[in-house]
Amino acid sequence: MEIKERIREFIVSNCLFGDTSFDLRDDTALLDSGIIDSTGVIELVLFLSEAFGLDVPPEDMLPANFNSLGQLTSYVQQRIPVASAL
Amino acid sequence: MNTANYLLETGADHRLALIDGEQSYTYGELRAAVVALTHALVANGVQPQAHVAIFGPNTYFWIAAYLAILKLGAVAVPFSPAAKPAQLAEMQKLVACQVVCAPAAQLTPAHRTVFGDCVVITEAALTADLSAGPVGPSSAEVAPTQLAALMLTSGTTARPRAVCVTHRNIQANTNSIIAALEIGLDDRMLVVLPFHYCFGTSLLHTHLRAGATLVLANNAALPEVLLNELEAHSCTSFAGVPSVYQLLLRNSTFPRRSLPALRTFQQAGGKLQPVLIEELTALRPTARIFIMYGQTEATARLSYLPLEQMQAKRGSIGRGLPGVKLRVVNEAGQEVRPGEVGQIIAYGENVTAGYLNDPESTARTFVGGALHTGDLATVDADGYIYIVDRQSDFIKPLGHRVSSHEIEACVLALPDVLAAAAIGVPDPLLGEAIRVYVTLRPGAVLDEQAMLAHYKRTLPRYMTPKQIVILAQLPMNSQGKVLKTALRQLV
Repeated sequence: MEIKERIREFIVSNCLFGDTSFDLRDDTALLDSGIIDSTGVIELVLFLSEAFGLDVPPEDMLPANFNSLGQLTSYVQQRIPVASAL
Repeated sequence: MNTANYLLETGADHRLALIDGEQSYTYGELRAAVVALTHALVANGVQPQAHVAIFGPNTYFWIAAYLAILKLGAVAVPFSPAAKPAQLAEMQKLVACQVVCAPAAQLTPAHRTVFGDCVVITEAALTADLSAGPVGPSSAEVAPTQLAALMLTSGTTARPRAVCVTHRNIQANTNSIIAALEIGLDDRMLVVLPFHYCFGTSLLHTHLRAGATLVLANNAALPEVLLNELEAHSCTSFAGVPSVYQLLLRNSTFPRRSLPALRTFQQAGGKLQPVLIEELTALRPTARIFIMYGQTEATARLSYLPLEQMQAKRGSIGRGLPGVKLRVVNEAGQEVRPGEVGQIIAYGENVTAGYLNDPESTARTFVGGALHTGDLATVDADGYIYIVDRQSDFIKPLGHRVSSHEIEACVLALPDVLAAAAIGVPDPLLGEAIRVYVTLRPGAVLDEQAMLAHYKRTLPRYMTPKQIVILAQLPMNSQGKVLKTALRQLV
């Protein structure tokens, strides 16, 4: 499955309580809107680790990387070559 | 004195009261905003003692609405924006607000249904043209025992409870906290705790009364954002529940940041593991770290561990705040001996007037003016209190107080579930995670995932169990009561 779709699936099932009718676009603000709250952030970091083998360092946990589906996807895409090279 | 006047008495007009996103507001501006909102409330028929809801995240508008409600002698009822419409509806049924103050963007159609008959006052009232209107209503004279706020909280049943907080309660607790923590004019507190939660409300009360500055950080789900806010605004103070400290210490750049202005930490809302207290102390050796304990039923806070006792009394919640007397008594009502476990009972002007429309629970919890906290503790020879367990059946994920019964009732709504018992288990990130044990009807095909999905649909995130375990039978005593202590011993 594509990276974006896997992240989308995680957000829909964990943060939108399975509500597939929600119009989750690439640029929907996840943090500002409260879709991802402090518990959600913890779960998201765990998910990124399990799904993509990514260890997210604290300094990467920024809105620029985390605030939308598009930003999360780009972040994971950037990091994956690094992760696989290790 | 009216609590709105009490809270705004110290801050000079030109002093900074709060920073909300890109905007800053002085005490003078805040006073004017309160006047604008009292106009809007009066125009919408709000009388003294009317219940007025406040719904939404921490904002300038929230604070102005809260103070305006108090100023009119009406009753402020803060609702959690994290609650689901069905829960909000239960709360509204209990408190029966006639007016709701909410940012326009916050009220979705589902929320509008919850507050169906209410008049809605939005942030537009802050900027309404007052020039043509009548002179601002003067502040209402209030008796100290008059109701100021109804604080919604979980009960020991699945139904919400509303704690009756009086003007005297707020002022007494505010004075106690300011005296113990020496909060002053130059303090600048980063607020990540919601104002509908008593710990958050008490930050608001104490810093306004001290004439200090509040920095509102609503989007602090990411610890880096919170740290950036602390840095950008040169905050002197921070307050949080254990999980926030855990995140900061173990999963953020906090240990590497200098944050030279930051000198005061407040922690309450559950037990911060001693190892984390040590890490924080080692990291900020010159900081003042206040370990505190409180309850909504006590307005907010009951105890603190004095700074000079931090090392010697590690793991203790300290002693009563100034004006608060704490006793730990056994079942016979006698003071426990050192080492013996008893219940914490609190006395003071911050002990609230009980639960709204619930005389039975009120009579059980508030006995002759003393608050029976339901927390079990020991006392050492010097009078320092150590909490060992909770008598009441609560779980505290991320510092929220969650009723086990509500968690159990949720899964019991599924026809295949025969019995359920929820407990809290220590969790490195959540502080305490919810675990539910269930038994199913013979032949049921329900699995853990389906039950989890049901939770996620029904309850807010923080109330979703981390783990569901299906058992053939729940451990019970001879009266058929589930033995939660036995469940806690299962791994």
